Amino acid sequence: MIEALLLVLVCIIIGGLLSSLAVHLMPVGGAPAAMSTATGIATGCVMLMTGAAVTGLFTASTVASFWVTKPNVILVALSGAVGSMLMMGFTMFVGNLIYIFGAGIVPCSGRVAVDPITKDSQTEYKTPRTDGHGVPTASFVSGILGGFSGGFGGALIYVVLVSDSYAHFSVATAGIVAMGIFIANAIIAAYNIGGTIEGFHDPKFKARIRTGLTCSLIVSVLCGVIIVIAMLTGTLAGGVM
Amino acid sequence: MGEEEVKQEEKEEKAKPKEKFKISFDYFNESRLGIFALIIGILVAIFPGLPAFIKAIGMMIVFVWGADSVRKTARYGLGTGVPSIGVLAMGFGIIGGITGIAVASMSFGTLVVGGVEIAFGVLAGVALLALLGFVSGNLANGDKFINMKIPGLERGMTELGIAGTLVVLIETSIITGTYAITSVLPNVINNGVIAVIFIISAFAMLQPLNTCLGADERRGRTLLMSIEIGGIASIILGLVTALTLSAVQGVPLIVLGAVIWVVFYRAYMKACMKEAYAVKGTGLIKTLGG
Amino acid sequence: MLFAWMLIIAFLAFIACMFEDLESDIGSQSNPNSQIQLAPEMGYIHRYFNKAISGEGLSYALSCTISGTIAMLILLQLESVGPKAAILAIPVGAAVGSLVHMVRSSVCHVGREAAHKRFEQPIYLDVLYGHLLPIATHNFLAVICITAIAYIQSNLGILSGVAGASNPFPLPLLCLIWGLTVGAIGSSTGDIHYGTERAFQDKPFGEGRRVVYHGQICRYADCGVRTSKDVAAFCAKFGGPATGLAFGLIVLFENWRTVIGMTLGGVAGPGWNPSLAAAWGIGIGIVIAVVLVILARAIEKWARNKYGPFVGE
Repeated sequence: MIEALLLVLVCIIIGGLLSSLAVHLMPVGGAPAAMSTATGIATGCVMLMTGAAVTGLFTASTVASFWVTKPNVILVALSGAVGSMLMMGFTMFVGNLIYIFGAGIVPCSGRVAVDPITKDSQTEYKTPRTDGHGVPTASFVSGILGGFSGGFGGALIYVVLVSDSYAHFSVATAGIVAMGIFIANAIIAAYNIGGTIEGFHDPKFKARIRTGLTCSLIVSVLCGVIIVIAMLTGTLAGGVM
Repeated sequence: MGEEEVKQEEKEEKAKPKEKFKISFDYFNESRLGIFALIIGILVAIFPGLPAFIKAIGMMIVFVWGADSVRKTARYGLGTGVPSIGVLAMGFGIIGGITGIAVASMSFGTLVVGGVEIAFGVLAGVALLALLGFVSGNLANGDKFINMKIPGLERGMTELGIAGTLVVLIETSIITGTYAITSVLPNVINNGVIAVIFIISAFAMLQPLNTCLGADERRGRTLLMSIEIGGIASIILGLVTALTLSAVQGVPLIVLGAVIWVVFYRAYMKACMKEAYAVKGTGLIKTLGG
Repeated sequence: MLFAWMLIIAFLAFIACMFEDLESDIGSQSNPNSQIQLAPEMGYIHRYFNKAISGEGLSYALSCTISGTIAMLILLQLESVGPKAAILAIPVGAAVGSLVHMVRSSVCHVGREAAHKRFEQPIYLDVLYGHLLPIATHNFLAVICITAIAYIQSNLGILSGVAGASNPFPLPLLCLIWGLTVGAIGSSTGDIHYGTERAFQDKPFGEGRRVVYHGQICRYADCGVRTSKDVAAFCAKFGGPATGLAFGLIVLFENWRTVIGMTLGGVAGPGWNPSLAAAWGIGIGIVIAVVLVILARAIEKWARNKYGPFVGE
């Protein structure tokens, strides 16, 4: 029993940390990106990350129901991760399609002079007095990684809560609690970013990631303790897989 | 906009003749509203045996408190938009609500005194989430951490954690009439009603400020909308209650929700129309410099 | 059967997200709303509809979840009729959902314009009333598709005859999930066409909108003064369908890889191997993601070569 409790606590902490990392990896431009004034996806990080994570959660829940008892934690979490990754990938890809064919804009980064992955020069493609526009390759890869890590985090929390070898909550309880923990972490991370970020190559990433992860660690530990208290009461367990 | 300025404005409002329906929030400044809503919310939450429509009124008061806390923290600009803080409140609320219900359904979580059920256990969820909210607020505002420099963010997040939890608890007890997990799990969580609780409560907290945001935003007007959403929430919860539990509890709730919605929607619309620069049937726009 | 239902889901997803984007353009919700909000402060009095319910993800989650809850209640009442009850339940649920959405958007316009008192922005009643119906109808189409997707997915096992294909989440929770996702995608892709192109149509084409342009939105239409209804007609040419494509592809490939995995894992037969099924799904997903990165790189390269470096000031 005590092992299961500890494992749930650890998995919630890992999930929380991964979701915080994911928000930092997202190339989010916020509202300015919709006007092609900032690099990244044209929406707030919280909305985007939550959208990606729940897509992963959906796939994870389908995959978790493959097993009658004791779902394989890693495989379910990976399914969720790939789900979020695909959601991010298609969103960024179609976003780029609209930038290029709808508005005639070349994707380019505003924060770095050279794309760290393709080694393409960015400065001369950038419109003056903007902060970059579109989703260049480095940001794209960063977003894919972010989706992967966020989906893994969300699905990991879900699967340890639903699995009958750990918390054994009912499916809906586990789903909504995983969402709650994920959202709390994602929003604290979003406040840490404070608006826009381009991805792992952005100087902001290096400057802020440590604070973000520390905060997320504290919040996840508290969330985990609260959930463990809920588990200890024993009333929520015994849900139907 | 500082607190004094708001008060000043509201005093000016007071001098003017009022609409019949207009509810004034003058007496309930931020602190008084918080204490009042906390007491009412806790009282309503620990007595699951109360009639549903009384609980609905308690729910609306907590909504107003939540909206006020969102207003207090988000008007300085959060960097990711107003909605995030309302969703944060409900993310906290879901965790706290479920923990509170789990504790309350243990043998010592609920006392029965003279046939009246008193669910002290839910207070555990409220207290834990107050702690979580306070810690998050300190993390977000602390110099060594995120350093958002928003005055009162610690207090705001604590209040949001409590308000979110109380809302989840009250809405659950509206639908089931008890905190016993055998009744909560099938009627609220496993059939997915928790999703509608989550989203509509988030809206009651985040939408008022997001919708009224602007240079001439006024607290009285903003909070009217919170109650209006409370009316919609009551109607939907009433439908759920009527169809899953009993019509005796559900129908008064629907009637109450409808009345509150009509009254406050009218009051809000009238207030907006009156306070706008002009209300025109149609017309062309003013050109620049002309 | 499983594949047929999957295609129906993908088709519904395409329609849903397309209408979601067009609906958000009619009310200028989400990101371009910052410009509509800023314009009067810059002296640009306009006749756009200012629908600031919240981010699109949340507002769609609201209408879809309400729709899903109402549909679930009706389905519970008509349980004896069987799956046929969905024909009644889904439209009624969607109607209630879009009604709530319409009410929420009506309070937004007056609330935000009243807060612009000092910038002399009036409330035009014809703008308020004229936009509510288009908002409700577009929203209805999006919500009915999302509710139908959620219904099909939560009952896939019964509908397709393959046991274990259903998603374990209840209907309202699935509606919440897809509502959040459809809104997130609609705001992150569709808004670009509106915010970059339509709102600044009088500014030079093919460059990012500089910070100095912010708030200086294009306020005149082909004939007379532009309202938000004109925006939908423009974005329906490219932005809306492209957004629909994004969500349709996501739903298609998400389900496709799971279904392929299930088939390869030995569908519900004696040789059912859940680990193999899950692993195949993951593998296919990773391959798709790698292909996407390559495609994105190719299209970026094409744009760089074709359009060339920035010219002008």
